[in-house]
Amino acid sequence: MTVGGWLKAILRPLALNTKLGVGFLILAILVAIGLTSLTAPPWFEQWYKYPKDLPPQLSSDPSYLLGTTTNGRSVFWSLTRGILNSLAISFITALIASHIGLLVGIVAGLKGGTIDRILMTVTDVFIVIPAFPLYALLAMMLKKVLNIVILGMLIAITSWCWPARQVRAIVLSLREREFMLTATLSGLKTWEIIFKEIMIHLLGWHMVNFTNTVIYSIGSEVGLAIFGLSILDKDTLGTMIYWAQGYGALYRGMWWWILTPIIAVIILFLSLFLISIGLTEYLSRKR
Amino acid sequence: MLVLTIFIAYSVSFILIKLMPMDAVEYIVSQYITSPAAQYQDPEVINSLKEGLYDIFGLRGSLFDQYKSFLVRLLRFDFGPSITAFPTSVSELLRNAIPWTVGLLSVTTVFSWIIGNILGVFVGYTKMQSGMARILFAIALVLRPMPYYILALVLIFLLVYLVPIFPLPGTGGVITYEFSLEVVKSIVYRFSLPALSLVTINIFGWWFLSSYSLTLNIINEDYYHYGELRGLKKSTLMRRYVLKNILLPQVTTLGLSLGGIFGGSLITESIFALPGLGTLLYRSIMTGDIMTSLGVLSLSIIAVSLATFILDIIYPFIDPRVRIR
Repeated sequence: MTVGGWLKAILRPLALNTKLGVGFLILAILVAIGLTSLTAPPWFEQWYKYPKDLPPQLSSDPSYLLGTTTNGRSVFWSLTRGILNSLAISFITALIASHIGLLVGIVAGLKGGTIDRILMTVTDVFIVIPAFPLYALLAMMLKKVLNIVILGMLIAITSWCWPARQVRAIVLSLREREFMLTATLSGLKTWEIIFKEIMIHLLGWHMVNFTNTVIYSIGSEVGLAIFGLSILDKDTLGTMIYWAQGYGALYRGMWWWILTPIIAVIILFLSLFLISIGLTEYLSRKR
Repeated sequence: MLVLTIFIAYSVSFILIKLMPMDAVEYIVSQYITSPAAQYQDPEVINSLKEGLYDIFGLRGSLFDQYKSFLVRLLRFDFGPSITAFPTSVSELLRNAIPWTVGLLSVTTVFSWIIGNILGVFVGYTKMQSGMARILFAIALVLRPMPYYILALVLIFLLVYLVPIFPLPGTGGVITYEFSLEVVKSIVYRFSLPALSLVTINIFGWWFLSSYSLTLNIINEDYYHYGELRGLKKSTLMRRYVLKNILLPQVTTLGLSLGGIFGGSLITESIFALPGLGTLLYRSIMTGDIMTSLGVLSLSIIAVSLATFILDIIYPFIDPRVRIR
């Protein structure tokens, strides 16, 4: 396939499904806003570089666009970098968790029998383990070494089990179809069947799982951050809320400080959720 | 199955704790020494604390011995003394916190289940395409992916800051176990906004949408059309055809979500500074009190596994298709 062909294959679902298209558009805008942080002045991560407690104002310097905080930081630059960092954390989670889920689901669904039962028991146990207290406990112990990669990996510990269950269910239903029998009878090896016959059907659902894990991971990071367990010296959407809460921003009327990350999180969730349900709709209609 | 689940879940926790690059005990002690509470404590107390911690984490003997003592500790629910409130034991702290958390969560879960199902069945049954239904779906679209604590923060902004109906978190009267009119009043006053946030997110995040789609499925079934053609009364159709079939999956999910009554609102509680497990967990994190966090984690594991187990037992009573073998 040519580059144009690939592009068309990617863009067609976007045009066909409004939710998917709108979701992607909002996400693209958010990422674009996030990318402006690359042009931020080098001192934007330090404290007391800006005047304290300024409300939002229109000025030629974007640093003051969303006001400043009590610890002398620009809300705008925190936000832009926070969007990028939160997305980075959640992408790491989603990369790990959705692929573990894919692997476990395929193996369990294809092999069946004892292997299936063992894998599903483990999956069910991980579903039962309450994620937040576990993350909190582990993040406490990791506090000193916590960075974007480690936090992303941490949240992946329990978030692979829903994708695994879903992939397994799809593989089970695929296994009953005729083309699988044809493939087996024509002498394809197991890995050939996986990559040639099954992957095509799974790819779309894999993307749905990926998106859902991203949503979950962003939410978990915010939750951990409220408890002071995120990467506090870096900007993420969660740590922005943490600092605003810690300084009692709301009670002192500094709505721009606390509201900015909250609204950003909500819009981010909305866009990702639109992508997720848009994809689901598109896939189930195609079938 | 119940024992197996709890056993594996604990084992996983043990392995994960072992995998951490930090020495938990050194970490706890270093956190504790820098906290203000430690300045009034004898070095001897700190030393005994350290010994106790090594004991509790089962850091003596071979890896297998460690594992064994870890399991025994957890099963006997013996987490030793809390560090935050030193001589008090962790299990006592937990016991004091549980009623608040369980009260808040069981009430909100049941409430949102009832309201959400009524709303979903109503909108689905009347096949509403009206403006009202559209608004409900728009709300659901925004709230569905949202974690409960984000909504809590939004509601604090709207109903505490913009329109001051509810008290600031941490204010609004003292909450104790004493029973008096004052206390009851302040409990209602302080718990209503967190309860509202949990009910809202539960209704729109799950119950409304699920009961809506279940209803739609049923009224498109052949047997429902047949019942309509037989001239059954609307109320009979509703009761015997729709509600009965919706109840089954919805009771299942209700049972599962009741399993979360220990761990389902930890962050809300700490945001609103309410007594309960969430605030306990928050305080233990702030002081590096790993034992208390471990206690909260164990409680949640047991609660969720127990809910699954009980559900398996009562399921045959709800669903005649399932028979105990």
